[in-house]
Amino acid sequence: MSSTVEARTRTTATRPGVALPPRPSRRGQTAATAVVGVVLLVATATLDVEWADLRDLPAAVRDYGTLMFADPDWSRLPRALFEMWRSISMAWLGAMLCVVVSIPLGMLAAHGVGPAWLRLALRGLFAVIRAVPEVIIALVLLTVTGLTPFTGALALGIAGIGTQGKWTYETIETLRDGAADAVRAAGGGRTAVIRWALWPAALPTLLSFALYRFEINIRMSAVLGLVGAGGIGSMLANYTNYRAWDTVGMLLIVVVATTMAVDAVSGALRRRIMEGT
Amino acid sequence: MSGTTAEPAARFEVPPRPRTWPRRALIVSALAAFTVATCLPAIGGVEIDLGAIARNWRHGAANLSALLQPNWAFFPRTVQPMLETLQMAFVGAAIAAALSVPLTLWAARPTNPNILTRSAVRAVVNVFRAVPDLVWATILVAMVGVGALPGLLALVLFNVGIVVKLVSEAIDSAEHPYLEAARAGGATQHQINRTLALPQNLPLFLNQWLYALELNVRISAILGIVGAGGIGRLLDERFGFFAYGDVSVIILEILVVVLVIEAASNILRRRLA
Amino acid sequence: MTLDTRAEAGAAPASAWPIRLDGVSVTYPNGTAALRDVSLTIDAGEMVSVVGLSGSGKSTLIRAVNGLVPVTSGTVTVGPYTVSGLSGRRLRQVRGHIGMIFQGFNLATRIDVYRNTLVGRFAQAGALRGLLGVPTAHDREVALSALHTVGMLDKVWTRAGSLSGGQQQRVAIARALSQEPSIMLADEPVASLDPPTAHAVMSELERINTERYLTVLVNLHLMDLARQYTRRMIGLRAGEVVYDGPAAEATEADFEQIYGRRIRPQDRLGDRT
Repeated sequence: MSSTVEARTRTTATRPGVALPPRPSRRGQTAATAVVGVVLLVATATLDVEWADLRDLPAAVRDYGTLMFADPDWSRLPRALFEMWRSISMAWLGAMLCVVVSIPLGMLAAHGVGPAWLRLALRGLFAVIRAVPEVIIALVLLTVTGLTPFTGALALGIAGIGTQGKWTYETIETLRDGAADAVRAAGGGRTAVIRWALWPAALPTLLSFALYRFEINIRMSAVLGLVGAGGIGSMLANYTNYRAWDTVGMLLIVVVATTMAVDAVSGALRRRIMEGT
Repeated sequence: MSGTTAEPAARFEVPPRPRTWPRRALIVSALAAFTVATCLPAIGGVEIDLGAIARNWRHGAANLSALLQPNWAFFPRTVQPMLETLQMAFVGAAIAAALSVPLTLWAARPTNPNILTRSAVRAVVNVFRAVPDLVWATILVAMVGVGALPGLLALVLFNVGIVVKLVSEAIDSAEHPYLEAARAGGATQHQINRTLALPQNLPLFLNQWLYALELNVRISAILGIVGAGGIGRLLDERFGFFAYGDVSVIILEILVVVLVIEAASNILRRRLA
Repeated sequence: MTLDTRAEAGAAPASAWPIRLDGVSVTYPNGTAALRDVSLTIDAGEMVSVVGLSGSGKSTLIRAVNGLVPVTSGTVTVGPYTVSGLSGRRLRQVRGHIGMIFQGFNLATRIDVYRNTLVGRFAQAGALRGLLGVPTAHDREVALSALHTVGMLDKVWTRAGSLSGGQQQRVAIARALSQEPSIMLADEPVASLDPPTAHAVMSELERINTERYLTVLVNLHLMDLARQYTRRMIGLRAGEVVYDGPAAEATEADFEQIYGRRIRPQDRLGDRT
């Protein structure tokens, strides 16, 4: 209570002209901001970009927007849907392959499941796969399997293992240890712990991640199509090369609509899975 | 042992097991049907051609072994394009960061109570997000010509979509008790956003800006494949000449740069937390 | 001190305003009737407690006074203004004259005490300053002297989130005081505090009432705090006024009537020492 009394006497004494106490130094923060700012300026200045071209951009957006969307060429829609299904198939099979491989590997990479040397090796592998862009994996693979959608699916499957494996072991590690301890206390071995404690508890999250992988792959499969793996991406690349803008517009509408629809359905499923119904 | 487990079943009234299997069977068969449909080439599905692997194995193995022998002499020629890639990644992330602030505050419920403008911003961002990064780059290259500019624009569009979606959702799900206090004091929404909501949520922004930078390094490495500048153009060119030793150097370089950026941003993130 | 004479003087800052509710009902969109036909008058300069259990409508009552909760029917008048029916700039202007403190303090935790306090000056900011978020010299002066009053001046650069609960509530009081308000609303201001700090904050409110000559309306659920610090007490139960009279004379039976059950030990905070 003394502080109240103290405050009271101070109020009556010095009401006019209360001085602002000096602000504590934030030199480190200021220095860091300055460094980032300078690097940014240098990077922008030396970047080989004709900034003047930006002035034409609004006009270009309007012109090409009109070309693409004023009167999209719907006559090629059946072909587009065929190719879109090919992309969806690539994405789905890639997601299945990715999940089937990354769940066991990811579980073994979790603390308290696999031996330490295996854990480190697997985590290193995941990190390396994560760092390689999907397109590059596809480019390497196509030297083996050729320019086919199958290559695309394989590339998506392999490229996703890095992230998916990481999510798997992180999921296992954030589970509370109670159930695993209980199985161990009852005399269960490593397999029993995985089967009766970790697997049931992690399943909803892992399923939800699997669906999420599918959502990511939908976008990636269109990208792989651009480098020749087939599907909607290849069709888009071709018609962009022909400068058939009315068809490109139609294809973009198909891609955007499909992606948003898949996101919506998969997102709803993920919510249901996580709510446990 | 088996005797003791059999006995209770006889003695206790076991409630009937809930019938979950029809539902489960339905889900499993639906998934199986979907998977089969994705494997039918006749309707656009993927032809699973394991034979191709077997047939091309020798050819592929030769290529792979060429990839495992990096041509280090090629390294000096990669430095300049790699720098351009990093510049594009960094400048793109910075421009996107600046643009993302007002858009995010418009797209989050606590910072924009107006449902009309909020849904409009969200809808636009969702449509933009549905276009994959390299597709943006392809279209932009056709529009503004080959070079770093279309690459930069593609990165900005892609980053803005990610940052606005993730940060506005994070803002939506957090508690903002200071909003009520500021409203009770007669503040406008703009005053609240400018002086309270933005600094209060800055860590959320910083986190996603760093994430966008990481993604950019990875994406800008391949943007050149569609003509949008950076090391990807060199990668595509060397691939075209079947110069796998050179390709190998480029891939390794991308790998190292991505890992370094990721490690650096993890350290930064820990310091910011 | 009748309503009419005070209302005329009401435009001048830092003079107390009366509060009047006429047949006020509030029904939330989900159908809950939080207030049912409440009519009461609080004279300028009075310190009144509103007592009731959670769900009795006392939070709604206090928020109806500054328009944070719009009334379904009836009118709310503060000083010269009719709050019910106001919106936008006019409502913000009225809110600028009504300080409010909250159970959860409602500070922006990552932001320093100084800027949290300046929130109280928002309603006074002109269009341009409001846009830029720059305080005037007068704003700074008022905010600092408010912090000085509550004894928090030395913490001015500390992040609000790193202060103790009692300190945070003091900053929240300074924020409300820097509005130079005519009415002070307090919604369960001590419910999150330990007993000694709770008494200190209640004394602070008492002092504001007498020294600054402000009308104070404070929500409480503890009977002894109401008796000790306020002269008049309003009892709410299920959205209706069930008691209105001198706080000191309220009997145990009166409290049982308000609570709708027998008195329990947790209905008292305990003595000052």
